Amino acid sequence: MSEVMISVQHLRKEFQLSHSGASSLKTMLLWWKKRSIEQFVALEDVSFEVRRGESVALVGRNGAGKSTLLSLMARVYKPTSGTVTVNARVAPLLELGAGFHPDLTGLENILFNGVILGLTRAQVRERTPDIIAFAELEHHIDAPVRTYSSGMLARLGFSIAVHVDAEILVVDEVLAVGDFAFEQKCYSRLEEFRAEGGTIFSVSHNPAAVKRVAERCIWLKRGVVIADGPVSEVLPRYQADQD
Amino acid sequence: MRTELKELWRFRELLFSMVEREIRIRYKNSFFGFFWSLLNPLVTIAVMTVVFKFILDNPMESFSSYILAAYLPYMFFQLAILDSAQSVIASLPVVKKVYFPREILPLASLISNFIHLLLALMVFFVYRLVLWAIFRGPAPFTSSILLLPIVLLIQLALTVGVGFIVSALNTFYEDVKYITAVVLYLLFFVCPIMYFSETVAAASIVKKYPWIYAAYHLNPIAMLCTAYRNVLVPSRPVYVKGAYVDPIPLDWGMLGFTGVLSLVVLVGGYAMFNRMKWRFVERP
Repeated sequence: MSEVMISVQHLRKEFQLSHSGASSLKTMLLWWKKRSIEQFVALEDVSFEVRRGESVALVGRNGAGKSTLLSLMARVYKPTSGTVTVNARVAPLLELGAGFHPDLTGLENILFNGVILGLTRAQVRERTPDIIAFAELEHHIDAPVRTYSSGMLARLGFSIAVHVDAEILVVDEVLAVGDFAFEQKCYSRLEEFRAEGGTIFSVSHNPAAVKRVAERCIWLKRGVVIADGPVSEVLPRYQADQD
Repeated sequence: MRTELKELWRFRELLFSMVEREIRIRYKNSFFGFFWSLLNPLVTIAVMTVVFKFILDNPMESFSSYILAAYLPYMFFQLAILDSAQSVIASLPVVKKVYFPREILPLASLISNFIHLLLALMVFFVYRLVLWAIFRGPAPFTSSILLLPIVLLIQLALTVGVGFIVSALNTFYEDVKYITAVVLYLLFFVCPIMYFSETVAAASIVKKYPWIYAAYHLNPIAMLCTAYRNVLVPSRPVYVKGAYVDPIPLDWGMLGFTGVLSLVVLVGGYAMFNRMKWRFVERP
């Protein structure tokens, strides 16, 4: 068996739900008046391992805990208990424009995002032509990204993520944007990435996309892993589940 | 704290490019661009000179230089704290998606403001040299200028420490930035910026209770303003209440106390930030 890239052991994540909404000094000072903080368990005893070269898709309905799990893998959250170990560099496909600053040009944003994802500035500069070419943004790269369409932002985000030499690519439903031709290009780039030994961890609502990208599927329901196995087994069970 | 610092060092490239980005963004959509950084202190110098020389009619030679020597560092303190208060909140979308040491966000605001202070000081030196060359006044600065790095370091430590505290708290309670703005506005009058520490010493209440002078300088910002004035411009008799009084030399004990206090604020602020930073993404 090849080496373990992602190891998740007995992972549990709780959140504090606040119903008052506004976070201000007032709510802190008036805590005795309206103490509506609730515990909410987003993930409960989740364990799995992902090995080098695997492509795993995470499925589950809204609120099942998929994004929480991705955030824990990205070290954005700290687990309440249990461990998440990621033994390689991860490139998250940033949500549309999440890492982009609207006033900076595409070029400046490439530099900044590449550095956030772990490259040095010299490395990013070296790769910039490839990133621009893949995103097909040669004519717009010097314009501020606030002028970009959502498709252009998605292309730029995807292009940066696949050019940072990550060993694990985390894909969070981003492929749904962009036109058909670019979607095909993304899929073939993902296949290339896998052929080079890359690991993919994706989240999707689209069964066709899951079948196309992944061979293993983890089904998450209300924070608990219901099934973990080949796509051909798990996906039909998930689709049949009406609850 | 050691592991946190190591992690910060590992991400130094990100810090550099964030500072670069902050400096770029500031004047991104303006015609003069980066020159605004130089234009700001220039305009301030011009207005202050006109006001003090021709309206207040202060007889002290190049009085505006003495005001600016404390005013420019105070402006850095104020802008850096207000900028860093916003820094984490403004970048929350990225913070929620990618991991990087969160202290990079306030640090980038603080460092880019510090670079602006250094630029402003350069403009100030040029102004002093021009005054000296044209009007043949006394020497623009004395050997005490060599102490400037020490004063700058103390102020940087204090500002970074306060910036950590304010940015961590403001991420949870956005009232903090309004409180901070009011405190900074009031602090401006409580510190010897538009007046001198000699003015404080000559006040009748201080004459009656001399300990007030020391107590006044327990405020680290007040002490820093006094220290900046001591190192940036030659000490000269100060015009107070219609007469000249002798300048008070720099009190090393007081400056040492301010240095220690600033270091405590820096370490304490960083520890506090590190304790709170994991909850930024989970804020209610």
